[in-house]
Amino acid sequence: MRSIEAKGLTKDFKVYQSRSGLKGAFRDLLNRKYRMIRAVDHINLSIEQGEIVGYIGENGAGKSTTIKMLTGILEPTSGTLQVNGYDPHREREQFVRTIGVVFGQRSQLWWDIAVRESFRLLKKLYRIPDDSYRQHLDRLVEVLEIGSFLDQPVRKLSLGQRMRCELAAALLHRPRLLFLDEPTIGLDVLVKENIRHFLKQVNKEYGTTILLTTHDLSDIEALCSRVVMLDQGKIIYDGDLERLRSQWGDGRRLILELKDEISLSALNERSHGLALRWEGEGTRFVAHMENGTGVSDVLSRLVPAVTVREMKIEEATTEDIVRRIYREGITHHA
Amino acid sequence: MLNTYMELVRIRFLMMLAYRVKYYSGIIIYSLNIGVYYFLWMAIYGENSSLNGTTPVQMATYVAVAWMSRAFYFNNLDREIAAEIRDGTVAIQLIRPYHYILVKCFQGLGEGIFRLLLFSAPGLFLVSLVFPIQLPTGVEDWGWFVLSLVFAFVINSQVNVITGLMAFFIMNNTGLIRGKRVLVDLLSGLLIPIHLFPEWAGKILAFLPFQGISYMPSTILSRGLPTSEIIQFLGIQMLWLILLLIPIQLLWMTARRRLIVQGG
Amino acid sequence: MFYVRLFFHYWMQYLKIRMEYRSDFFVQLVTDLMFQGVNLVFIIVVFSHTADLSGWSREEVIFIYGYFLVPFSLFASFFNLWDFNERYIIKGELDRVLTRPAHSLFQVILETMTPESLSGGITGLLVMGWAGWKMGLELSWYDPLLFILFVLGGGAIYAGIYILLTSISLFSDSKTDIQPIMFNVGNYGRYPVDVYNKVIRTVLTWVIPFAFVGFYPASFFLNEERWMTLALLTPVVGLVWLYLGIKVWNWGIRNYRGAGN
Ligand SMILES: Nc1ncnc2c1ncn2[C@@H]1O[C@H](COP(=O)(O)OP(=O)(O)OP(=O)(O)O)[C@@H](O)[C@H]1O
Ligand SMILES: [Mg+2]
Repeated sequence: MRSIEAKGLTKDFKVYQSRSGLKGAFRDLLNRKYRMIRAVDHINLSIEQGEIVGYIGENGAGKSTTIKMLTGILEPTSGTLQVNGYDPHREREQFVRTIGVVFGQRSQLWWDIAVRESFRLLKKLYRIPDDSYRQHLDRLVEVLEIGSFLDQPVRKLSLGQRMRCELAAALLHRPRLLFLDEPTIGLDVLVKENIRHFLKQVNKEYGTTILLTTHDLSDIEALCSRVVMLDQGKIIYDGDLERLRSQWGDGRRLILELKDEISLSALNERSHGLALRWEGEGTRFVAHMENGTGVSDVLSRLVPAVTVREMKIEEATTEDIVRRIYREGITHHA
Repeated sequence: MLNTYMELVRIRFLMMLAYRVKYYSGIIIYSLNIGVYYFLWMAIYGENSSLNGTTPVQMATYVAVAWMSRAFYFNNLDREIAAEIRDGTVAIQLIRPYHYILVKCFQGLGEGIFRLLLFSAPGLFLVSLVFPIQLPTGVEDWGWFVLSLVFAFVINSQVNVITGLMAFFIMNNTGLIRGKRVLVDLLSGLLIPIHLFPEWAGKILAFLPFQGISYMPSTILSRGLPTSEIIQFLGIQMLWLILLLIPIQLLWMTARRRLIVQGG
Repeated sequence: MFYVRLFFHYWMQYLKIRMEYRSDFFVQLVTDLMFQGVNLVFIIVVFSHTADLSGWSREEVIFIYGYFLVPFSLFASFFNLWDFNERYIIKGELDRVLTRPAHSLFQVILETMTPESLSGGITGLLVMGWAGWKMGLELSWYDPLLFILFVLGGGAIYAGIYILLTSISLFSDSKTDIQPIMFNVGNYGRYPVDVYNKVIRTVLTWVIPFAFVGFYPASFFLNEERWMTLALLTPVVGLVWLYLGIKVWNWGIRNYRGAGN
């Protein structure tokens, strides 16, 4: 069974505009002006059991709105949606038993009571049998290293401590599918590391499907085999990270420091026929190499005539690539 | 100096203006309360034409005036002060070049003027259309009433300041504040005019400041008292107004000393 | 069964939190008592000037007020929805509730309940008991049963009306002050409806049926024949309103727009 199967998924929001002044307030009572915002626009998404999928996009692209539809919080405006075999909104109560949810921006736990009590309440809510609960909780506590603050109320925890508890809470009932909306927001490097490691382990051990949104692309690099990129409510890329790199990456850059000065035109002449572009003057040059051009090819052309003192190869990071796509739009390149 | 305080009044007034929608529902709520007590009192009168010298029309007027006056004198100074004490902002206010309590009172005044103009006055007008009440037409009666109402406002604010300042000494005084509200409504004569209480209770109430908050102004407007009695009322209100300064000053001085010792 | 167990679990959690702030708890009890006391003082003082209130004696009016306190305390304990808009819509707690496998309204009720308000019900029972004893009121075997039915019915009326009003927040997150307005309308139900004029009486019976919360059922126990049928209708009216409230709530959940960003 597919974890997520969405066709033409769409969500519109009506945004009311209020008129100013007392007269405006009265007119608002009778007929209010509004405009429609299409937050998610005919998305087709199909995710298999066991995948880890990164869901990225600019602020306001519609990521959280998608997650809220997938988790049953919001009813879609149109489109068909099956998650774990359920219609999330219509069959909400049975459906949510099969998923776990973490919203990085707000707590899923009860603010005033101790973490342990929160867990116990969840046990009751999800009707988890005693022995399986104890076993699983012990394991979660150990791996996430949350044992030392289980007896503190949630409001007294630091962000990193809280987020680890949120993860444990979301996994207590062993969901088949885990949604994470910005789970690493505001966390330090070590906690991020711990969480990524943990997620990988959960995915491997239980075959849990994971869908996560994030603005930190190192999360994606560390975890996801597949990226879905959203722009203004539409999916603009769906595939693996490698392809995104090779397709949209600017290729590599070769930075050279030469012993003797040489002119740009002389360099161009030497590398004639190779797909690259030179930049620089004097003894410092940069070769922007298109995909498929090998470093060794370039060097072998140069070596007879010039002496290379130092050399560095730079690859565009995922962040560079994504930044470019956000800035220029994907159509520009395709 | 006075300019600073007048500015506070103005700002509070503008702030209230921004929340004015809240007051439309306020008028409805107060009218509903007037309704309940109006019908109850009329049922109490039954066939009688007078209770302790008050006619049904005077009673109806009393109920309407008392509640709409409450819309004016009521404020949240107690809660605000208590909250500022609890979260420690009072300590900051201490180093500012003005008197904390006075600032609070002027803020209360700004709110009061707003409530008078946009809540009590139109509310009383609306209520006078719905219920058979009889308001005096003479300028003189209204003059006395307004004066007495201003005193009522000050006395009520003083009581609120005292309850608010108690937060220095009682950690959690929200209960005290809520309890005080319920009691003031009863003891001030809002629910039952003081001359209709049993004699022994009336005698006790005569020695308390609360009668100056609701009973006195409302009686002045609804029953048409002789001038000598009105002046007596105003005198009592003024006396309390001065007497209540003493506990406020004492509380404030003790509190200040505490604040300074604790380092805020 | 699942919901019953859940209910008790939440209850225990609530008590644990409450025990941490014990003084709040007692302060709440005392102010509640004071509030009820003031209302009783009003009735007592009023009856020093008259022998009857539209045909009802002092003990009868006190009995009606005492009865009213019982369904009202039920409502006050479990339908504490005053800051629903603030807490669940604006702060977005409803998102969390909707990812949990239990009915959303049930969860919200469990998270906001204040069972200490039930103390008002005890006060009410005592007040009723005293007034009934003064009048030499006699009970039939079925009276306690009917009492429970009526109280549940009255509580359901309050609950239904407030659930309905609270659901408005699910459609629009702009603030409405309709809840406190309704609360003040509710106070009309504590006194005999003979006191009011015809329009108000009709409204309290058929439009916003607060008369079924206090007056009609209480008059039944006072052996008043005039309102017998209406009194017996109390559980029905309660069911209708509760059904309406829940329907509108469910409809609202379908319309829910999610917490704003
Ligand atoms: N409840 C709502 N009412 C009206 N508009 C909304 C609502 N929720 C979201 N939107 C709008 O829908 C669009 C998508 O919002 P969404 O929160 O899904 O973005 P996002 O991709 O999660 O952004 P971010 O990275 O900032 O979290 C935005 O334009 C937002 O203003
Ligand atoms: Mg988001």
